[in-house]
Amino acid sequence: MQTSGVSTIERPGVAAPRTDGKLHALLAEFDSPQTLISACERVRDAGFSRWDAHSPYPIHGIDEAMGIRMTRLPYLVFVLGLTGCLTGIGLQWWANAADARQFGFVPTFLQGYNFPVSGKPFWSFPANIPVIFELTILFSALAAFIGMLAMNNLPLFSRPVFRSRAFTERVTSHGFFVCIEAADPKFNEARARTFLESIGALGVERVEDHDEAPLRNAWIKRGAVIAFMVLLIPPAMIAKAWTSKSNDPRVHIIQDMDNQEKYKAQQSMPLFADRRAARQPLPGTVARGDLRSDDHLYRGIVGEQFADDFPASVLVNESLIRRGQQRFGVYCAPCHGLDGSGNGPVNVRAMELGGSWVAAADLADDERRSRPAGHLYNTITNGIRTMPAYGDRIKPEDRWAIVAYVRALQHARHADADALPPDLVEQLKDR
Amino acid sequence: MLGEGAAGWSRALLVLGVIGLAASAVLAPLGAESFFRGYLVNLAFFSSLALGALFFVILQHLTRAGWSVVVRRMAENVTGAFGALGVLALPIVLAVLLGAPAALHHVYHWTDAEHVAHDAVLRGKSAYLNGPFFALRMLLYFGLWIALAGFYARLSREQDRTGDAELTTRMQARSAPSIILYALSLTFFSFDLLMSLEAHWYSTIFGVYYFSGSALGFFALLAGSMHLLQRAGYGRESFTQEHFHDVGKLVFAFVVFWAYIAFSQYMLMWYGNLPEETGWYLTRQRGPWLVVSFLLLFGHFVVPFLLLISRYPKRHPRALVWLCAWVLVAHWIDMFYLVMPHNLPAEAGTEAQAAPLLLTDVLQCLTALVGIGGVFGWAVLNRMRSAALVPLRDPRLPESLAFHNI
Repeated sequence: MQTSGVSTIERPGVAAPRTDGKLHALLAEFDSPQTLISACERVRDAGFSRWDAHSPYPIHGIDEAMGIRMTRLPYLVFVLGLTGCLTGIGLQWWANAADARQFGFVPTFLQGYNFPVSGKPFWSFPANIPVIFELTILFSALAAFIGMLAMNNLPLFSRPVFRSRAFTERVTSHGFFVCIEAADPKFNEARARTFLESIGALGVERVEDHDEAPLRNAWIKRGAVIAFMVLLIPPAMIAKAWTSKSNDPRVHIIQDMDNQEKYKAQQSMPLFADRRAARQPLPGTVARGDLRSDDHLYRGIVGEQFADDFPASVLVNESLIRRGQQRFGVYCAPCHGLDGSGNGPVNVRAMELGGSWVAAADLADDERRSRPAGHLYNTITNGIRTMPAYGDRIKPEDRWAIVAYVRALQHARHADADALPPDLVEQLKDR
Repeated sequence: MLGEGAAGWSRALLVLGVIGLAASAVLAPLGAESFFRGYLVNLAFFSSLALGALFFVILQHLTRAGWSVVVRRMAENVTGAFGALGVLALPIVLAVLLGAPAALHHVYHWTDAEHVAHDAVLRGKSAYLNGPFFALRMLLYFGLWIALAGFYARLSREQDRTGDAELTTRMQARSAPSIILYALSLTFFSFDLLMSLEAHWYSTIFGVYYFSGSALGFFALLAGSMHLLQRAGYGRESFTQEHFHDVGKLVFAFVVFWAYIAFSQYMLMWYGNLPEETGWYLTRQRGPWLVVSFLLLFGHFVVPFLLLISRYPKRHPRALVWLCAWVLVAHWIDMFYLVMPHNLPAEAGTEAQAAPLLLTDVLQCLTALVGIGGVFGWAVLNRMRSAALVPLRDPRLPESLAFHNI
């Protein structure tokens, strides 16, 4: 690499000027921002078009002095901001409000999904405004940033004027420069040099363009290529993972407390003869509250038969039936319906869909009315056909309460009006 | 300093103001509730302009701003209206304090002891919302604002005479505590004067909402009066295109800020959909008030936002002044929107009905606008006649005069 191009600006004798390259530009130095501005006005008025001014800090009025027209960046920002706004509207409409049935030709993974939130309509404009706002801002900011770089031809790692020692030493501290490019249609080296000197330049220097790239530039290019290659590795690994199968467990980068040095319930353990990590309780032990020796209460059985009546510890009275009604509403009514006839919404829907569903029974039909209480209790506890077991989620006392309520339902569904208290009959007549 | 011609203007405004106030009082028997609401709309409007000016003055000292020195005196002059506004607040304060007339009970439900006794929510709030405490707080707010405005105006004028840079340091040192007191007082003032109109409803962002409109209103007033002053021959050298550009940017910014705050309040309540919060908006979606709501959406945000995006109107005072007039009208409608809409007293079990907009409502709004506006303008013009229109010896004046955006 050559040393710097040198100049009439430098003290004589510092380095020999190199004059074998192609002329790129003439660089003139000025001593103050004021002289720079007046020089710029002269260059502007002389009709040059490919030239630039350089100063260590922004100078008010330099745009006007150089005849730089208003930037078009705001229009770009406006248009892209509007694009962001429309993207926000369109994205949310497509993702949540568009009727997917009308767009069956679109692949499923690109279709939206009507997702009800808080009972609002699928297309609820107030909820969409924050995202519309954010996308408008995002698009505008990116347009301003990238547009500014692009319109200024940035990033630009090296320019021929960097070969000038005067330029690199002073342009960021106290040097004020004007640089007229040789590519300018009005450029003539001798006349331009005289012109620059006539408008107050301290000195004028040739800036040459040599074919070989400066070393620094080459390293940046090489570094960029290497960085790009490295950046390709993660997507390549992802692509490989997508298209191949493996029996290995997933790569577990962040451990948190996932893998600890301890035995878990289903693991084997060498210390014990049966090699189980989970130990069994000692034979004959019963956890507190788990004895459940009362077969009538816990299993609905007396001797070998289902019990006909309620266990002694369950007192059948109105509060028990009310409790049963409330539990029935939670656990039973979704299928059996509030009146026990089987018209619950889950059952109705499942019957519409067909399949292997077995209809929920009418709890007040003759068969169920003839069953002993213990039998109903057993069905609640263990489930039957498509009905799941509820023994693990309803307490025994509550199961008996439900049985009591079912008995009340059965009675009510087959009762005569004569059996009702007279005042209730009056009330019902009003309806 | 304004010349002799301004004395005539100032007197004319005072006379106009007194006529307006008298007209309000004369019309009051036709609809006392309309009187209170119309008066409140305009009291809130002109107080907001003075509050926006006070914010601007404190903010310039807080940030040690250089660009704004030439326009700061204008803001100091507008804060001179706090004394007059305090007096103008007396009808409301006294009505609340001295056993309110029946009409006020419909405006501020919490002033009606019988109503409060049957209303669990208002009973719970009665330790705060009661006549004497309301009056005491109003006294504190206006006392604080008169003191703050007086401090900054006095020192700034003293600097005109002495040129003492130490005064700037003192104003800067006081600006941080001042802005905290300002924020608290403005927030609670808006709660007391405006939010308590519907005492069941509450919004923690309400103070910020009132503040955003206040600052916006003041910036619009500032740009407009800069232009009018220049047309009258004042400040032609000191207010440059660059200052108009910056004030225009502030107008633009606060148009967006107002919309941001208004929407923040709206969206959370819309989403939460809780009856105790949505009632306030429901009233404003019924009957004539829906029109006002849409007028605000477009007049207070969409139209000025689109028109102010461009640099052109900000750098061309003749365009900016029309936009600022528009913004001031929109801000007035905003105050109207906060005060006017209310439900008719509902029968038990029936749905509430929005009250119609009465002729007396409109008349009272206009007479109070002339009345309070006239007195406000008189107070501000008086201030402008007693000192230079620019802080003559502020140490940052040269920086402000030489200010460039580009």
